[in-house]
Amino acid sequence: MIAQSEVANRYLTMAKTFFGTSHPLFNAFGIEIDEIGKGRAVMRMPCSVALSDRHGGLHRGVVVTLLDTSCGLAIFSRLGDMRPIATIDLRVDFIREALPGEDVRAEVECYAMQGDIAYVRGKAVVCQDDALLASVSGSFAVGTLGPAFDTTATKGTE
Amino acid sequence: MTAPGAEPLPAYCAGLSELQKQVLDDTPYVHFLGLKVSREDDGTTCYQLCFREEHIGNPLLRTFHGGILASFGEVVASLHVLEEAGMQQQPLCTSLTFDYLRPAFSGTIRAVPRVVRSGRRFIVVSVDIFLDKSHVSTGRFIYAR
Repeated sequence: MIAQSEVANRYLTMAKTFFGTSHPLFNAFGIEIDEIGKGRAVMRMPCSVALSDRHGGLHRGVVVTLLDTSCGLAIFSRLGDMRPIATIDLRVDFIREALPGEDVRAEVECYAMQGDIAYVRGKAVVCQDDALLASVSGSFAVGTLGPAFDTTATKGTE
Repeated sequence: MTAPGAEPLPAYCAGLSELQKQVLDDTPYVHFLGLKVSREDDGTTCYQLCFREEHIGNPLLRTFHGGILASFGEVVASLHVLEEAGMQQQPLCTSLTFDYLRPAFSGTIRAVPRVVRSGRRFIVVSVDIFLDKSHVSTGRFIYAR
């Protein structure tokens, strides 16, 4: 049996390959993975003028996108593979807007798995001072349409 | 591909309020999304989003990212609130609930917003998103006045 840290490292590498280099949205957002493992994922992205609202802070839609992505990664880490998943529903409460210059970090855990449904919850905070921006909860269908991400990611084919 | 009979769309067109135009112009993320706003013959506002590589969620299926769909929904909901509720400033979105009904494959998606209730303190807006005739997602957004 492989040690948990080794598994985590393997998936961190795999996820970084998949999320980091070839994905147009994640490239555009500048999303980076801080942590992945044991059903938990932490991702962050820098403040960007191109992705901001009228006041210069990251737009709330961007925060939702980061949270949704982190939910997916948290589920992959609980599953131990990257079979296809799809968001069933997502709820986001906005505590406050991100301010200009504030980088955002999403911390999500997959806290339950029942049948083919994975349940997630988490939050988005300001990287600089951990101020709470938004909370998220949702459910995802596991094993949906399409090929698994890890087989294709490792083979590098589409 | 645009719907039959639709004009090539400018970023926005006549018939929008000054505040709506300001919001569209001054929000960089709206430009990143590539939102198109136009008027139908019957006077209703039509909101569309054409698929781009930067919208991809699942690169193997080439579907819209769930966050992009929710972003599109929220931007449309907030523009609709400005129009329907006679707001003098952009309202604050306090929460959203989004249901993903079908995979939203690459194409032009269309959002149809509706005010569910416009109260003294809160406004509840629902937005349905369609890909051609297919209902791909539905969202509910709460705004504080």
